[in-house]
Parts: sequence; structure tokens; C-alpha cells
Amino acid sequence: MIRLLCLVAVLLLAMAAPAAAHNVTAGADLRIAQTIAGAELTVVIKGTSRVPGPLRIGVVAYEPVTPLRIGLRVRSVEDGRTVTGTAEAAPRDPRYTQLTVTRTGPHELTLRAGDEVAVIPFRVLVERGSAGDFLIYGGLFLAGTLLVGGVLTGGLARRGTAMLLAGGAAAGVTVAAMVVVFEQALPAPPPDGAAPTAATPVGGRPFAQGKVATVPDRPAEGEEFTLRLDLVDGSTGRPVDDLAVHHEAIAHVVVTSEDGRYFRHVHPLRTAPGRLEVRLRADRPGRYFAHAEVERQDSGGQLLTGAFTVHPAGDPAGESIQAAAAAPRLRPAAPVAGRPATIELDAPGDVRPWLGMTGHLLVRSQDGAFMGHVHEMGTPGSPLRFTFSFPEPGRYLAWAQYATADRIVTAPFTVDVAAAGSAR
Amino acid sequence: MKRLAVVAVLVAAAVALFVAGRNAAAEPLRTSTTGTRYAATVLIEEPVTGRVSMEVVVDSGDADTVAVSAVMPEMGHSTPEITAREQRPGRFLAEGELFSMSGVWDVSLRLDGPAGEEQLIVKALISDR
Repeated sequence: MIRLLCLVAVLLLAMAAPAAAHNVTAGADLRIAQTIAGAELTVVIKGTSRVPGPLRIGVVAYEPVTPLRIGLRVRSVEDGRTVTGTAEAAPRDPRYTQLTVTRTGPHELTLRAGDEVAVIPFRVLVERGSAGDFLIYGGLFLAGTLLVGGVLTGGLARRGTAMLLAGGAAAGVTVAAMVVVFEQALPAPPPDGAAPTAATPVGGRPFAQGKVATVPDRPAEGEEFTLRLDLVDGSTGRPVDDLAVHHEAIAHVVVTSEDGRYFRHVHPLRTAPGRLEVRLRADRPGRYFAHAEVERQDSGGQLLTGAFTVHPAGDPAGESIQAAAAAPRLRPAAPVAGRPATIELDAPGDVRPWLGMTGHLLVRSQDGAFMGHVHEMGTPGSPLRFTFSFPEPGRYLAWAQYATADRIVTAPFTVDVAAAGSAR
Repeated sequence: MKRLAVVAVLVAAAVALFVAGRNAAAEPLRTSTTGTRYAATVLIEEPVTGRVSMEVVVDSGDADTVAVSAVMPEMGHSTPEITAREQRPGRFLAEGELFSMSGVWDVSLRLDGPAGEEQLIVKALISDR
């Protein structure tokens, strides 16, 4: 019997729907990094516990941390009702702008800064009262009432009635106890406003194909251009508009020059279904790589790549400001392909989490064919520590990134990886 | 004592049925969506696999034509577009095979009219027939 109950519990757990992306519920903030108007920001949407209710939106500035005004517009996709406001980006503890949402379900948040616009789809969810709670309290209330009745009728020596009432009380207690024990295993009712989910999710979605383009298609050095990523579902040909928020962004795009002297880790704006755009300025002509990390809902992550060329301008831009190369400590000192290597970097004491992590390490092979994104795994207060197994021997270009109180620090360096067996 | 146990078991069974039965059975689907040009409500009396009748009520905007197609994002299935017949002004009926298997589908409505074309998408949970 116990085995059967365990099996039922396991099955119920296995059938529980996976967490969908872009959901805003009370207690679970939605954090989305955006590169907009030349600034690296994280938009925070705080959930509401009721509708109509308050939806609070704040903007955290990472770089630059100067005040920036962001226009906000929240629209219910179901009834089209729209509310607007503005938010001021702040480096820490932003002042939350309170907007009112009147219903649950799909919504769109439009962000506007300068002449740039992003539309972020999300769902407002409100937890429903659980049937389990109703049964627990209902069962106990019934038991209590009937026990009092049972004692009274027992005192009056009506045996049959007393037994009946006592039986009812026992049933009430049984129900309450059963629900208390098995409530964890029972599927919670979906919150109000949740997207429908299948009883047996398939798990995993088709691959997304990405096309990298620039607008204009021949960007010149020093000139601002738009890097555009169009995503198409490989099975249906439709735009991919179901990107999940992973590590606080719908896409992490790393743009590097072939020689590695130019590096940007940006978070493009969703400007239309399946279209992501970010404005950039490259200070030197040459070939550039774009590596985009995306993750479709209910799927794993994938890396999309592209390349573009920046053409020389008639009026050459000034010398690019090159960040001083960092001096990381490597363990082993000569990393070996296929084996874990640990990279340690000293960081100032005021490092604050960015994209949900203390630090990020982007690793690219020299030819741009390989890109890795490693997260910091050290203990707070100690040097930043990254562990990564470089897949092949050769020289890798690496950039460690972390946020301090007033900026995002990027520390470039190179790592030479030896072939296994070559080390003596 | 026996009677007591029987009552307890019966009540517990009824409760279990109540909890388990809440999510069963395909309910009629009714969902609304608004875009910049049009707003529409989709009604499917029986959201099941195979042949379905789908009513599209254009709540705002003057749509001349409505075409319906579907995509199952989890599986990468997509189905051909069905042109909906306008039964009454603003009420369109699409009939045909839209959903080849049970699961969550994106129903896409392509509305066209003097204001221009717009594609709206709603989610639909489809059960086995």
C-alpha cells in the first residue's frame, strides 16, 4: 500500500507542469536585462497578489549609473487596457513605479528610452486558494463540530446518533490528515492567468535558427548601427517568440572583433515577434562575431552565431580605449584541453550580482567558432573563481565580467590550452 | 467501529474524486486577444483533435477576412491556414482539421481589412477526442 502511494506521489510530481517563463507572481520578481539608450539596465517587475492590484516596476542601472528616464506602458493582451508611467533607472534600490493591472493573463510591457522601444511579453499570475487548504480546514471544522455533538448526544445516552456523529468526526479528521500528508504530492491548481499546459508536456522545442544582420548592412567605424537577430523556428518557419528568461535576459549577445580587442556583452531588445535588436558602435574596421545565447521555453539553451564587417570611415575614429589586460591565476598553470581549469581573478570588495551571478567569464576560440559562458563559483568576498574545461588545445580569448557599484568591469586576457598528453 | 471506518473511507474517496476530477474533461475554450488594429475572441465549443469548429468574433476593428492556422510549439507542428466564413458582420466561422494532436497550440488569426493586416495569437489547450 505504501509503495502504491509512493508511486502515485511520484507520478503526480512528474506530471507537474514545468515553470513557464515570463511569469509575474507575488514573491517572484521578473528580472530582465536590457541594453537600451546606451545603458545596461535590469528591469524588475514585482508581482501582485490580487487583481485589480498593483504592479510595481523598477529599473536598476549597471552602466552607466547616471539617472535615465524610461517610459513604461503595460497593456493587457486580452482586453487591450493600457496603463502608462515612467521609471527612473537607479544604481541600487530603485524607486518602484506602481501601475495598476485589472486582470491576470498575458500582458506586454513596452519600454521606451530615447528613440528605442522594447516590447516584453509577460503573464500576470495570481495564486488561487488551494483546494487542499479548504479540505484541511473544512475537515477539521466538521470533526470539531461533530465531536461536540457526539459528546452531547452521548451524554444524553443516544447511542446510535452518538456513533454516527463520532463516525462523521473521524471522517473529518481522516480527510484533514490525508490532505495534510499528501498535499505536497497533489498538483497545485494553476494560478489564475497561467498559460494552458498539457497534462504530459513533451519537453523540448525545435531549434531556433538565427539570422544576424546589421542595419545599415555596411556599418562604418565609429558610427552607430543596429545589430539585428531574427529567430525562426526550424520546424514551422514561424518567428520564435517564446524565449525564456535565463540568467535575467531573453538573450545574451556577445559581440567581439576578430582580434578580440572589441568586446560587448549586451541584452538586445525585443522589437517584434522573433526579432531582437541592439544598438552598437564599433570603433575599428574589421570583421566582428556575434554569439547569441537564447533558450526557448521548456527547452535547453542554444548558441546562435553570425558575423559582420565594419567598414573604415573616411574620417577615422580615434584610438580605441583598450582595457588593461587582466592577470588571472590559472590552475593548473598550463590548462589542458578536456580537463577542468580554474581561473581566479582579484576583484574589488563592492562587487554586486549582475545577471543573477557574481561574475561571468566569456571564452572564445581565436577563430570565433567556439564561445563559452562560465559563471563565477567562488565564495563571497574571495577572488572571483571560474572553472571551465577548454574543449580543444589552442589560444582562447577570455573576458571576465562583474559589476561594481558604479560600472560593469570587463577584464580581458588570453588562455593558452595545451593538448592532453603534451604536458610533461 | 466498522461503520465508522466505512464512513471515513467513503468520505475520503469522495474527496479524492473531487480533487482529481477538477482538471478533467475538455471545457469549451473562450479567449480574447487585442492587437493594435483588431481585437478578437476565439470560441471553440469542443477543443479536441481532429475536425473542429472555431468561431472568431472580431470585437474591435473592421476585419473583412479572417484566416486561422495553428502551431504546436512543443512539437514544431504547423497546420495549413483555413479561411473563416463570415456568418454575420464581425463573426467568422472556421471549420477544419487544425489540431493533429493533444497539447498546447498557438492559434494564429490573420485579420485583414481597411486598417491593414494583423496577426494575433492565442493559446489553446487541445484534448484528445
